[in-house]
Amino acid sequence: MSEETAYLISDFFTYLLNGVAQGSIYALIALGYTMVYGIIKLINFAHGEFYMIGAFIGYFLISSGLPLYIALPAAMIGSGLVAVSVERLVYRPIRYAGRIPALITALGTSLFFQYLGQGTIGADPKAFPTAFENTTYQVGDVFISKIQIVIFLVTMVLMTGLWYVVTHTKIGKAMRATSFNMNAAELMGINTNRIVSFTFFVGASLAGAAGVLVGMYYNTVEPMMGLIPGLKAFIAAVLGGIGIIPGAVLGGLTLGIAENMVVGFWISTYRDAVAFAILILILLVKPAGLLGTNRKEKV
Amino acid sequence: MDYLIYLTIQSGIFIILAVSLNLINGICGQFSLGHAGFWAVGAYVGAAYSVFAPLPVPDFVNLFIGCGLGFTAAAIAGLAIGVPCLRLRGDYLAIATLGFGEIIRIIIMNMDAVGGPRGFTGIPAWSNFFWVYLWVIITIVFVVNLLRGTHGRAIISIREDEIAAESMGIYTFKYKVMAFAVGAGFAGVAGVLFAHTTQFIHPNSFNFMWSVIILLMIILGGLGSVTGAVVGAVILSILPELLRFFGETVSEWRMVIYSMLLICLMLMRPSGIFGKHELDIKKLLGMKKGDA
Amino acid sequence: MSTPVLETQGITMRFGGLVAVNNFSLQLGATDLVGIIGPNGAGKTTIFNMITGIYTPTEGRVFLDGKDITELRPAHITQSGICRTFQNIRLFKDLSVLDNIRLAGHFRVDYGVMSSIFRTKQYHVEEARLVQEADKLLDIFGLKSKKDHLAKNLPYGEQRRLEIARALATKPKVLLLDEPAAGMNPKETADLTKLIRWVRDEFQIAILLIEHDMSLVMNVCEHIHCVDYGQLIASGGPKDIQSNPKVIEAYLGADAVAETK
Repeated sequence: MSEETAYLISDFFTYLLNGVAQGSIYALIALGYTMVYGIIKLINFAHGEFYMIGAFIGYFLISSGLPLYIALPAAMIGSGLVAVSVERLVYRPIRYAGRIPALITALGTSLFFQYLGQGTIGADPKAFPTAFENTTYQVGDVFISKIQIVIFLVTMVLMTGLWYVVTHTKIGKAMRATSFNMNAAELMGINTNRIVSFTFFVGASLAGAAGVLVGMYYNTVEPMMGLIPGLKAFIAAVLGGIGIIPGAVLGGLTLGIAENMVVGFWISTYRDAVAFAILILILLVKPAGLLGTNRKEKV
Repeated sequence: MDYLIYLTIQSGIFIILAVSLNLINGICGQFSLGHAGFWAVGAYVGAAYSVFAPLPVPDFVNLFIGCGLGFTAAAIAGLAIGVPCLRLRGDYLAIATLGFGEIIRIIIMNMDAVGGPRGFTGIPAWSNFFWVYLWVIITIVFVVNLLRGTHGRAIISIREDEIAAESMGIYTFKYKVMAFAVGAGFAGVAGVLFAHTTQFIHPNSFNFMWSVIILLMIILGGLGSVTGAVVGAVILSILPELLRFFGETVSEWRMVIYSMLLICLMLMRPSGIFGKHELDIKKLLGMKKGDA
Repeated sequence: MSTPVLETQGITMRFGGLVAVNNFSLQLGATDLVGIIGPNGAGKTTIFNMITGIYTPTEGRVFLDGKDITELRPAHITQSGICRTFQNIRLFKDLSVLDNIRLAGHFRVDYGVMSSIFRTKQYHVEEARLVQEADKLLDIFGLKSKKDHLAKNLPYGEQRRLEIARALATKPKVLLLDEPAAGMNPKETADLTKLIRWVRDEFQIAILLIEHDMSLVMNVCEHIHCVDYGQLIASGGPKDIQSNPKVIEAYLGADAVAETK
C-alpha cells in the first residue's frame, strides 16, 4: 500500500466519523420534523429554532457552572415547553386551514424566534463554554474526539428511549394511532390534542438536545444557527421518508456522511448545496423517501 | 428629498418583485420560496453586463439591454428549476424552491469574477425613477393582460383545481412552467434595476429572508390579487422607514414585527387586504354591479 | 356493429397488492348510453380514471375511434374527445360560470400569449367566439342569467349541471359522468334523467355513466355493466341486470338471493 493510499484511507475514516457525528445531530432534529409531520402533516419550519433555543439554554446553564448532565435535560425540557406553547398558541388554531397557510405560519414562527433571539441576545456568535476536558484519541491513523463519543452515546440513548416510548407505551400507541388516522383515533377516545402536544414536546426536546451537542461540538451558538440545520434536518426527514421514524435516522446519517465526504474530498464551500441537491434528487426520483411507499392522489 | 426618491424607487422594485411572485404563488397557486434567487440572477447578470461588456450606446439603452438579459437569464433559471420542481405539490415545492434559491446564492458566493463573498462593486448608477416605474408599468400591464386572456385563465385554473384543469384539456404543466418562468424573469428585471440603483450587490442581499419578505407583501395584499401585490409591496417598503421614527430599537426589531404580522395575518385574515379581488374604479363608484 | 367509439381491452389497475380493477373490457357505440353500477369500492371510478388518463392501466389498452390512447396524458385525452365530470364536483370555484365554460374551450383557442399581452385583433375575435359559444351552451343549460356568478355560489343542482355543460364545451365524442345524481333529491334526479337523454340526442355523443341511483340508471341506460371487487360480474339491458342473481348478491349479499328464490 502506497503512502498516499494510506492517507486516503485514514482521511476517509476521519471524515466518516465526522459525518456520523454530524449525521447523528441531523437525525435528532429530523426525528421531530418527521414525528410532527406524521401527525399533523405540517412542515414545522420553526423546528430549527427549538434546536437553537435548546443550544442557548445549554449555553446559559453551562456558563453558570452547571454540569452537562443537568444542562442537557434542562435544555430538552425548555425546548419542549416552548414547542408545546407554540403549538397551542399558533399551530392549533390554523391546523385545519390547509397546508400552505400552516406552512406560512410556521415560517413566520421561525423568523420570529430568530429575530427575537437577535434582538435580545445579540446577533454575534457566543463561545460555548467547555463542559468537560476534550481529548482526542487516536486509533491507528484515525482521530476521534471525546465530544464525538459523547454525541454518539447521547444520540443512541435518546433514540433508544424514543423507540421504546413509541413502540412499548400506551402513549406511543396513541401517537401511532393518531398519526395513522386522527379522526378515527379521536373516535376511539384518544385525546388527540394531548397527543399532538406530546409529539411536539418530544420532538423539540430531541432538537434541544441536538442544540447542546452542537454547541459543544462547534463551540459557538447564535440566534440564526437553527435555519440551515433545520432545513437540512427536514431534508434528512424527506430523504428517509417523512413521517417514518427510522427514516429520519437513516436520512440524517446519510446526509451527514455525504456532506462530510464532499467537504473532505471535493469542495468545502459547496457543503450546503449538497443537502439541497440531495433533496431535489430524492423528490424527483422517489418523493416518498428511501423507506416510504409511493401513494397516488385519490380523485 | 433624495431620500424620498430613493424610497420610491425601492418601492417600485419591490412592486415588480411582488407582482411577479404573485403570478407564481397567488395566481398559479404554485408555492415558491425561492424568489430572491431569481432576483439575484437578474442582478448579477445585469451588473456583469454593465461592468464587463457594455455596448457603446447611451446608458439607458444599455440599461434596457441589461434588463432584457436579466429577464432572460432569470427566466432560464426559472425554467431549469421549474421543470423538475413543478411536478411536486404544495409544501414540497416550497422547500425545493427554497433549496434552489439558496443554491443560487451559494454558487454566486463562489464566483470570484463577480466578487464572490466580497460583493460586486462599481456598478454604474443608470437606473432612476423613470426607468424603474416604466418597468413597474410593463410588469403590471403584462400580468393583467395575460390574466384576461385564455392563457391567463388556464394559469388560474391550475390554482383552482389542477386535476379538473387537466381534464378540460389544459396542459397544466406547461402553464405552471410558463407562470414560473415569467415570474422569475420579472424578478430578474427587478434585480437589474436594483443593482443599478444601489451600485453594490452582495449574495446576502438576496438571502432567504428576502424571499419571505416578498411573500409577506403578497400575503398582506391578498394572494392572487395584482392590486394587493402592489399595495403590499408599498406598505412593506414604507413600514421600515416609519418604524425608524420610533427609534433605532424599534427599527432593529423590524423582522420580529414582520414575522408577527405574518402569523397574525394567517390566523386572522389569511386572504389579505384585497383577497383575490382587484381594485375596480367602476365598481368602487357603484357604476357596475358584480357578484364577487 | 360498426367500430366502437370507445373501447377498453382488459384494463387492469393494481395498487401494490390490491387489484382495484381486473381485466375490464367494454365497447361503446357512437351514440350509446351505458351505465356502470356496483357497490362502493367496486372500482368504478378507477375505470374512469384509467379511461381519462389520470391513472395509466397496469395492463390492457384503451382505444378511441380505434386509436390507442392508453399512454396519453389526461389533457391530451380530453383534446382527443373524451371528457368527464367528477363524483365530488370539481368546478373552478372562484371563477365565474362563464370562465368555467371558457376554460373548456381553451385548447381550441387560436391566439398566442403575446396576442393577449398586446391585445391583437386575433385576441378580440377569438375571445368573442369563446363567449358566444359559452353563451349558447349556458342558454341550453338554463345558466345564462348566472354567467357572472362565481361557480361556488351556485346551488348544488346547478353546479352539477354546470359541470356537465363544461364537459360538453370541450366538444367530446364520449362523455363520462361520475355519479351525476349524487346528493340530488328525487325531483332533481328525474330532471337529470331527462337532461342526460336529451344531451345524447342533441349532441349525438356516447355517454358512459357511473351511478348508485338505480332509478336513474334503469331509466336512462340502454346497457348496463355491473362490477364488484374490480370484476365485471354482469352486463345486459336494465331488465336483465335487475333480475340477475349475481347483481343482487353483490348489492344485498348471498342471503337475499336465497330468499328471492
